[in-house]
Amino acid sequence: MQLAMSSSFILRQLLNLLQKQTLYVQSNSRPSPADKAIMSHMVNPLATPEQLYQRRSFSALPTELQDAIFFSTQCLTQAAGLLLQLPQSVTAQANVLLARYWLVEPMMSHEFSDISAASVYLIAKLSPYPRSPRDLALVYNYLLSPSSTFFHPSSAPTSDDSQPPQQPPPPSPPTNIPNDYYLPEHVYNSFHTRLLRCESRILYALSFDTHVSLPHPLAITYLQALDFLNTSKSTISKRTLPYLNTALLSPQMLYLTSQPNALAVAAIYNAAKDVGAKMPECEWWEVFDVDREELGFLVVGMRSVDAWGRKMREDVERMKAGTGSGSKRGGMITRRDIEGELRRRGISLGNGDDDGGITGVGSEEPVDMEAEMARRMDEKMAEIEGSAS
Amino acid sequence: MTGKGKSRWADSAEDAALEAQLKKEKEEKKRLKAEKARKAEAEKKKREAEAAAAAQRQQQQQQQTGDDDDANGPPAKRRRLSPDRDAAAAAPTASSNDSSKLLRFEGGRFGKCRSVENYDKLNDIEEGAYGWVARAREIETGKVVALKRLKIDPKDRSGLPVTGLREIQILKDCSHRNIVKLKEVVVGDDTSKIENIFIVLEFLEHDLKSILEDMPEPFLASEVKTLLLQLCSGIAYLHSHYILHRDLKTSNLLLNNRGQLKIADFGMARYVPDPPPPKLTQLVVTLWYRAPELLLGAARYGPEIDMWSVGCIFGELLTREPLLQGKNEVDELTKIFELCGLPTDESWPGFRRLPNARSLRLPSSSSSSSSSSKPPSTGGLIRAKFPLLTAAGVSLLASLLSLNPSRRPTASEMLEHEYFRQDPKPKQEAMFPTFPSKAGQEKRRRRETPNAPQRGQKVQDLGQVDFSSLGGIFGSGREREERGGGFSLRMV
Repeated sequence: MQLAMSSSFILRQLLNLLQKQTLYVQSNSRPSPADKAIMSHMVNPLATPEQLYQRRSFSALPTELQDAIFFSTQCLTQAAGLLLQLPQSVTAQANVLLARYWLVEPMMSHEFSDISAASVYLIAKLSPYPRSPRDLALVYNYLLSPSSTFFHPSSAPTSDDSQPPQQPPPPSPPTNIPNDYYLPEHVYNSFHTRLLRCESRILYALSFDTHVSLPHPLAITYLQALDFLNTSKSTISKRTLPYLNTALLSPQMLYLTSQPNALAVAAIYNAAKDVGAKMPECEWWEVFDVDREELGFLVVGMRSVDAWGRKMREDVERMKAGTGSGSKRGGMITRRDIEGELRRRGISLGNGDDDGGITGVGSEEPVDMEAEMARRMDEKMAEIEGSAS
Repeated sequence: MTGKGKSRWADSAEDAALEAQLKKEKEEKKRLKAEKARKAEAEKKKREAEAAAAAQRQQQQQQQTGDDDDANGPPAKRRRLSPDRDAAAAAPTASSNDSSKLLRFEGGRFGKCRSVENYDKLNDIEEGAYGWVARAREIETGKVVALKRLKIDPKDRSGLPVTGLREIQILKDCSHRNIVKLKEVVVGDDTSKIENIFIVLEFLEHDLKSILEDMPEPFLASEVKTLLLQLCSGIAYLHSHYILHRDLKTSNLLLNNRGQLKIADFGMARYVPDPPPPKLTQLVVTLWYRAPELLLGAARYGPEIDMWSVGCIFGELLTREPLLQGKNEVDELTKIFELCGLPTDESWPGFRRLPNARSLRLPSSSSSSSSSSKPPSTGGLIRAKFPLLTAAGVSLLASLLSLNPSRRPTASEMLEHEYFRQDPKPKQEAMFPTFPSKAGQEKRRRRETPNAPQRGQKVQDLGQVDFSSLGGIFGSGREREERGGGFSLRMV
């Protein structure tokens, strides 16, 4: 009874908000140019459809390999951010920057770990927490060494803290051999040179626009405006932020296709669903300028990252085992691994000849590409409609 | 509430009309987006349409108590068939204002830089501490722009300079008529190595400094007001967006031939949250325009430092001479105290706690005994220096040049100042005199002015400084004051 009453109260509040917002929109149907700087703290440049198409046809890389590279590099970036003691706001921006870069330039043009390091370096430099090239060299050198637990089978499942930990018996933790990650001066110097080259490459590819707005602060603000009755706000916010962080790893590149407000609302929605919180019964997301369709898409997208990530991790480990450089298993995927994998599949890199089959969208005729795209969109629509109703 | 169940109004005539409309839209969309051709069952759509209509009706009812908006207004937010948005946007029918109810955020896109070869260099404008600036024409459009080359030290192993990156980012974020507009960033043709980076800015004919140097007569009072108002509204915009410029001076203010002033050179600028973070570099702002709290070593400062610079620029606009031309930090501080008086615990509580204040030796009388024979306020000294300025002008200038940062007006307060409402009224921009176009076409004589401090420079310790001889206004600065000849005509 009381529940019903308070929910109608919230509803009224929301409607008030809604009206206010409508008034606002009516009075400035077009945001005046003076608002641009204020707005710039809430919006991101988004990927164009052409860029998203292009990604599939960019290189001869099969989609699943592109996804594996994307996933493991983003994880590496997160791991480096932790070891560099950077706040998540910095690391997450680096993740987004990296994702943007790979929509403009082919993935294979630089070593993945170098691009990851350069994006962290660049964002940290512009933030209040700059890190020296040597810090980065040490951290990346360690993460890529056999001694690190990064992507080592013993550290599975992913270190991502949003996943409920279900520890399988660890095979054998990597033995810590300090010699593995000793950093000789010449290695540092060449890393440094590559770092600077990648930095300017990223800036060039993105027209020097390093602006990234994260949805995290918006999500907190939205949570303060909402009232989930039977659940405390901290419970929900503790569930909301992991959704946002996990979404950084998504192959659907949610941060490049949706604005922060939509991401924030979708994460709140998922979190509330997870903890069984009672949500307002009206279409509260519209208060935050998110429409139902986008919300549905993001909710599904965010929920799928978990399972997908586990599978991706297995794939990466299998790939590493397959190309098996020495006794080492696991670890960060490298360009050489990808080349090895391609050879194994009988695809040679460069002439754009791939094996069609499951993933071969890359080299087919443009007409087919469009048909494929349409089919995918149909599937997605069906999925959304299924989940939304 | 949102009408999940069957609606009572399901079969009304209005619903039929709405359905018809939705169908029409849907057909149009199908035509437009044939490749999307999605085979959603018509039944489902119909049910949803009904639900949407029901929701509309319900909401309408709720709102009739509150306000009688037109029926097409608020309920539109309840549209369910968001795929139809495309059609609505393509064909602006009555329902097109439905979709506009949600705020759409336009963030732009990202992509590669263009090449500098898209521009034709016309002539150099300036080659100085800030790097190289040239006038150029965009080949495609014929538009004249200013190309500013980002200064990169190849020996610097920390990569692209953070100041340059900040400048680009801040200018990209800004959009105001009194702030120079960044069009794009272009790079040299060899993209394998990114070494030549050029910022493309809108071109303005003059900078204020060279105009002041060359003009035979100072600006009229009405012109000074217009310039100050423009400067101030630009700064108000920056400060309201948490940007500190940190290098305001006349050579960084550009003027076009239509009397429009724009703030340029954001090489020192940065976003500063409110309240400011505890550690900001003190090495900002060109010496002559540097606020006393910076000279005294404050690491926590805010928009007030820009307002001090505005005060210095105000004085310079009146006399055509930089107001406080110190030879070094100590000399600058001396000049400031000569003009504004010595700080006291009453006028600036807490200034003694600033790092460099400890080494100042101030006349001991200034704090205690002076309260009886109060030294003339800053206003008096400024009045003596600017005999032609009105009382309101003096009060504005004096408040801008308050030693105590918290006594300075904010940019938006300054815009409201009485000085701008008094006669003579600010001159219309279009009525501004034009000046011979200088930007590059003719070499100009350049006077030596200090430059903005370099990043990473060592903060200079003031050392032991003795101000006890300065004794308030009766110090040495007195002779240099401009004296009116007994009387002077007030510009009213």
